[in-house]
Amino acid sequence: MATERSYVSYATAAVAVAAIPLSFVGPEGLRLAVIGLLMLAGPGTALVLLLRFDPPRSAQATGALPLSIAIAIAFSLAMSTLVATAMIYARLWSPPAAVCLLSALTLVFLGLELKRPKRVLVHAK
Amino acid sequence: MTHESTTSLPVRTAHRHEAHAHLGGAKPPTHRNLGLTPSWHIGALAAAAAAALALGVWSMNQVNPFQIGGTGLIDALPPAYFVALALSLAGFVASLSLRRLVPALLTWQLLVTVVLLHGADSIIHGLPRLEASFRHLGIADTISQSGQLDPTLDAYFNWPGFFNVLGTLSGATGAKDLFGIATWAPVGINILLLAPVLALARRLTANPRQAWAAVWIFYLASWIGQDYLSPQAYSFFLLLTLVACLLSVFGGWAWPTERTRFSRWLARNVSKLDSSVPRYGAAEPQRADTAILVVVCALILLAMTTSHQLSPFAVIPILAALLLTGRLRLRFLPVLAVVLPVGWLLFAASTFVEGHFGQLLGSLGDIGANSLGALSTRVSGSDAHMFVVYTRMAEVALVWVLAVAGAIVGYRRKAPWLAAAAAALAPLVLVPLQPYGGELLLRLYLFSLPFAVCLAVLPLMSDSAAGLSLRRALALLLMGAVLATATVVTRYGNDGMESFNDDEIALVNRLYATAPTGAVLIEAVRNTPWRYQHYADYDYRALVAAEPIPNAAPLSCDAANQIAHKAGAYLIVTESQQEAAELRGSTPTGDLQRFTATCATSPGWTKVFENAGGVIFHIEGVSNGN
Repeated sequence: MATERSYVSYATAAVAVAAIPLSFVGPEGLRLAVIGLLMLAGPGTALVLLLRFDPPRSAQATGALPLSIAIAIAFSLAMSTLVATAMIYARLWSPPAAVCLLSALTLVFLGLELKRPKRVLVHAK
Repeated sequence: MTHESTTSLPVRTAHRHEAHAHLGGAKPPTHRNLGLTPSWHIGALAAAAAAALALGVWSMNQVNPFQIGGTGLIDALPPAYFVALALSLAGFVASLSLRRLVPALLTWQLLVTVVLLHGADSIIHGLPRLEASFRHLGIADTISQSGQLDPTLDAYFNWPGFFNVLGTLSGATGAKDLFGIATWAPVGINILLLAPVLALARRLTANPRQAWAAVWIFYLASWIGQDYLSPQAYSFFLLLTLVACLLSVFGGWAWPTERTRFSRWLARNVSKLDSSVPRYGAAEPQRADTAILVVVCALILLAMTTSHQLSPFAVIPILAALLLTGRLRLRFLPVLAVVLPVGWLLFAASTFVEGHFGQLLGSLGDIGANSLGALSTRVSGSDAHMFVVYTRMAEVALVWVLAVAGAIVGYRRKAPWLAAAAAALAPLVLVPLQPYGGELLLRLYLFSLPFAVCLAVLPLMSDSAAGLSLRRALALLLMGAVLATATVVTRYGNDGMESFNDDEIALVNRLYATAPTGAVLIEAVRNTPWRYQHYADYDYRALVAAEPIPNAAPLSCDAANQIAHKAGAYLIVTESQQEAAELRGSTPTGDLQRFTATCATSPGWTKVFENAGGVIFHIEGVSNGN
């Protein structure tokens, strides 16, 4: 279980890091895939890892996976919406800067997750 | 938070007791009987689903779009498609009937159903569905390029959240063309909905087997077609996640049930009607995590508020219903759900409100006009279209009859039903507000559907967590087959006007290449795949809306001449405009061909370009060539 969590953490971190240079330059297809993935699920996945919703094979959390996925995507989309909307109303429109902000948010959550004691688990029925 | 935790202690204590019993005693149904289902059964069912997918995609690729008639796609689909659909439906029911519930297998079965039932347009036409998809791409393009909002342009720029996301994606990736995303949006959005609908169903049904069946029925009965690249699809996903999160983490009464006479009366009656609280899917995070989730819920509400006019208002009654049935302990959240959209309306969208005050409040309280009145305007058009409309009404009626039967069965069997029933009915309180362009009832059906399906499965399934009996499995399969077949008719009934072809796109591109910036562009009937670029660069007009018009008058060249009389204009007539006019009865039968033939010879009219998708005319200004 811990291994699976680590893989998800590494993958999320990789997407967040890769998105920063790709928001400025790179092949269009790759930029669309990486940045699209970050905006769709980056900050939310990091948040869900921080909250410790565990995969369904855990006897304690048989119902947590659908909720975890839903929250991961909804939070990422919500943050993408709010960052972009704040930029446009503040007349600071800069899509690459918005992507960098989302990447930073993702990495901060992942950093907090690393610092958090490992034994804390969500109890789900 | 402290107070809320304290006040909801009785219910939460009960949950913890169940959790401990559950952890220390019997295994949950998903883990029961492990090993009693041979692996080859699972493999065979997965392979059958793969075969259904391959056959379905192949059969959809055989469709000739020119065969699509007034009843939509069902005219043109080959028998192999229905074999694939039947195989997919039978595969899901068989997977659900296994003694061992295998979530991965059920997920795979549902994905196949989604592609077969909701991916037909993407596979057959290879272009975005609905002209609104093209407009939405244009708004995102405008925002991405200008970085500014023009709230006077239209309502979209007053609720720009969703378009800002698309604009960011386009701007940060350098992708000028998001056609691919728009084309596959119906499949993508339905796949995204799987997680929140399942999480929701787990909290509103008695066991995981019922929850999976509810998700299946949701896909089979979701014919509204709002799952294109749109703010409403985006907000619907956020809404469902919000409600699923609240039901999973913040269940319980929001106040001490013994505090006042009213709270005692309410708790007693809720308990009398439905004393069961589903066990599965509930989460009890630590206090700090719970606080984070409160913030997450508030942010989701805010994102929804910035993105869509209607969805945030639909959240209010749903949250109120959950609060009053003891399933939501955050009593400030319904208040926040009121404050955010009203505040947005008054401040951020004030330009729109000032310009549309009469339209917004003109129908306030007129329940008849907003419901049956709006419905009756849709019951018109060609005979083939009327068949589609009546099938839609029958499908809605079937889902609601099943939901009512489910509520009765739930009450009798002491299975969970009240929260689902309250949340399914709650959106109906929006009916007195306004007709929402005649679409309110359609949208309310969509908002109610995830809750109604949790009731609809009750008459078809037992509350036992064990596998389905043969009789119940056959009943479920029969119901699924009826709903899926109806949805092929209802969802794709307008396919002739809602889908487009490459010739039409080439025609529109030619129009943009020909017409100078700022020119007046006229569409004969409002159903053109345009505005995906240059959204704010031209003056777009329409001669007639693609709406049913009783005793519709023939189109006249003068109507276009009047628009063009100052500086000239370009008129575009497309194949899908003609389909829309015929299907909805916007013009008399055959009128658009007559209009095109007659006006082509009018003074001042010059044919600029013509292909299989339609024709473009230039109309001279000042005196129209006289």
